[in-house]
Amino acid sequence: MGVHGQHVPEPPLWQLRDVSKAFPGVQALDAVSLDLHLGEVHALVGENGSGKSTLVKCLAGVHQPDTGTLSHRGKAVRVKDPLAARSYGVATFHQEFSLVPSLTVMENICLGRLPGRGPIVSWAQARRHAQDSLAALEVQVDPDRTVSSLSVAEQQFVEIAKALSQEMSLLILDEPTAALGPYEVERLHEVIRRIAQQGRAILYISHRLDEVMEVADRVSVLKDGRLVESRPSEELSVAEVVRLMVGSDFEEHYPHRPAAGDEPRLEVRGLSSEGGVADVSFTVRRGEVLGLGGIAGAGRTEIARALFGIDQVTAGEVRIDGERVELMSPARAIDAGVALVPEDRKAHGLFFNFAGPENMTIADLAKLLTGPVLRLSAERRSARELARKLRIVGRVMDGSVQFLSGGNQQKVVLARWLFTHVRVLILDEPTHGIDVQAKVEVYHLINELSEAGLAILLISSDFPVLLAMSDRVAVVRDGRIVHIAGRGELTEHGLVEMAAGGVVVA
Amino acid sequence: MNKTAEITQAGLTRLIRQKWVGPLIIMLLVAGLMAMTTDRFLQPRNLANVSLQMAIVAIVAIGATFVILSAQIDLSSGSLVALTTVLTAGLVKEMGVPVPLAILLMLVMGAAAGAFNGFFASYGRIPPFIFTLGTLSIFRGFAFLYTGGTPIFSVSPTLNNVFYAQLLGIPAPFIYVLLLYSGAAFYLRYTEGGRQIYAVGGNQDAARLSGINVNWVRTKAFIIAGLAGAIGGVLMTARLDSGSPNYAQGMELMAIAAAVIGGASLFGGQGSVLGTLFGAMTIVIVQNGLNLHGVPAAWQQISLGAIIAAAVGVDMWRRELSGSARRLFGGGSPAGPGAPPPDRDDTRQRVDTSTDRVGAQE
Repeated sequence: MGVHGQHVPEPPLWQLRDVSKAFPGVQALDAVSLDLHLGEVHALVGENGSGKSTLVKCLAGVHQPDTGTLSHRGKAVRVKDPLAARSYGVATFHQEFSLVPSLTVMENICLGRLPGRGPIVSWAQARRHAQDSLAALEVQVDPDRTVSSLSVAEQQFVEIAKALSQEMSLLILDEPTAALGPYEVERLHEVIRRIAQQGRAILYISHRLDEVMEVADRVSVLKDGRLVESRPSEELSVAEVVRLMVGSDFEEHYPHRPAAGDEPRLEVRGLSSEGGVADVSFTVRRGEVLGLGGIAGAGRTEIARALFGIDQVTAGEVRIDGERVELMSPARAIDAGVALVPEDRKAHGLFFNFAGPENMTIADLAKLLTGPVLRLSAERRSARELARKLRIVGRVMDGSVQFLSGGNQQKVVLARWLFTHVRVLILDEPTHGIDVQAKVEVYHLINELSEAGLAILLISSDFPVLLAMSDRVAVVRDGRIVHIAGRGELTEHGLVEMAAGGVVVA
Repeated sequence: MNKTAEITQAGLTRLIRQKWVGPLIIMLLVAGLMAMTTDRFLQPRNLANVSLQMAIVAIVAIGATFVILSAQIDLSSGSLVALTTVLTAGLVKEMGVPVPLAILLMLVMGAAAGAFNGFFASYGRIPPFIFTLGTLSIFRGFAFLYTGGTPIFSVSPTLNNVFYAQLLGIPAPFIYVLLLYSGAAFYLRYTEGGRQIYAVGGNQDAARLSGINVNWVRTKAFIIAGLAGAIGGVLMTARLDSGSPNYAQGMELMAIAAAVIGGASLFGGQGSVLGTLFGAMTIVIVQNGLNLHGVPAAWQQISLGAIIAAAVGVDMWRRELSGSARRLFGGGSPAGPGAPPPDRDDTRQRVDTSTDRVGAQE
């Protein structure tokens, strides 16, 4: 494949021809041809394992293609290492930043190339330089603030400003919006469009297809290492892209089956917490999925933290199955039947020093006790059963869970709560950073769990998913629930608007 | 024929996966080296001497293992041993307290000292490294305070017997080591408390969110370390028939080194007491070998330091090595059609977590 349609007088910035790369047991890239043009935002989409990262790493000098050529401004080149990539103007951004948190914005932007004479730094010049770089993005960030005090989005801007100040011609953004709320995503996209217009090439990688389609000029779809499509974005719809990625229909992605009963399972009245939750009331019935929508920092996670006994509750009461419960610590919350699948499963969910079974039973070891002794064979039996039920694949019974895929790791965390006597399940961004296939499986699990009578609180920044998977959606703003909408009552646009405080986002 | 070979190989693979096999091999290599370079090493008298020397370090190292498994560190155990020796000697010799009661009181004191460390290191949020650096000085300071700096000699034949008695021809310290190590290994593998220590050491935040009382588990590890230190102190008093504030200098480092050589990770959550036992043997054999070769004490100290640094280095590099080894051989995930290519951000995550953890340690 490749670009045939438009004729550009000057050669593309980067031209990939029949690039292949194999790893033991898998053909990661299979004869991929791609053109990256200056002034163009080029989106690269595909499931985890489709070869996106490998492609990026070939451009960034981390991997060498087995066969095929890379041309830079019409000349075939070999990008032998990351340093060579930089000299060709390739800047790669990951979710983790390469900024020094304790230094100021100005220092970070000028890091390694502080202006001045000899050993004496000219701070005035450095500040001017930083201001110029930020002004080019048209973002307002005080160059004297320390990076650690900035929001995630602002840090991203600083990182981009740093790359621009180093005269980078190709910016590769890998999941840049993963940690951002809708408003911040919008700001980031504005910046991306602007720098593309200023004559740079952008390669944009994301799982959030709706965003991809919005910002990209051209979309290329990878599947199993092959380029299956590369077309201007206005010629494609999200549903088509999904079909190309997985070969299945879009509707299957939100397979919600309403299963709400009548009896209230979780009743929250006037809940306030020191974490910033202010006078929140809602009810979740047996089998119901209540979605919590809002922008990043609106207080959704804080509601979860209060219900799980992490943040101190300052007022209000919580009832589970009509019985009043005091949620003073996670241990008490677990006893009461509340479970939390945290947003950051690596940092807060998984034990990498454990295999699957130990990870699944840790929240209710009492179940395995005979006297003071743990029945290890019963533990393995339960784990095998859960792994089968949740369709966990990979070496889950022995070997660290570190080496499972993201989706399977998430299922291990879910299994931990199914091992307890869970009644209320809180899912904080359960599909964050896992591939499309695993996402669909998580949605199916949500269905099964709600059918089993659990009350489910679903937090997701992926609004289409939230709207599709929830029976009702509570809009959270500044620690308060401002509106609870029934199924079908809110559109995505309406939700975004309400979450952002009624202000239409430009 | 082929089949037996396969079974042997499978059994061998399983054996090699056991974490204590590496430490055992190191111990055997060191012992072999000593046996080859000096005849005296294998003489029964020397071996008996080595074993008795090893017993006390090995017991104190149980405590170090528990603390390290919970992702903490205890620098005060040597000082606690010294404090125990002077208090035991003082109770028995100067106050005429019966030996069993004195031992019991020492166990209570050790548990209290451990609780003191644990309380401030967990509930008090003072990093264990710093806090036990403080108690390293405080405990030994109390020992000096109690004796005025002079050792207490000729404590009690009864107490002396606690160390030198034999049961069915087996020296008593062997039996203590066997009992305490069995108990510790059982606790870690088969009880809720043991599992929670590994959980807290592996991921504190995840442990808290799994309903574990993290502060209490961390404190418990220190209480166990305090008990181990007190038992070590009583045995040292019994062995030397004396108590002195100058005893057990640097024993905390030997105990930590035993745990680390035995495969315990300073990042927490990984290790076993059986490995620690082999680690303790290795250290004592090295010391004994250097003694037999007439190496001056100064060089012995230098070599102990080098061993500790090397063991910690191996602990740090091990993570990276195992990571790259896995990537190289494609282990861990079933590599086949549709399996994700092995480039999914693995390196970045691993590097990031390790720096995080180091930061959290300090």
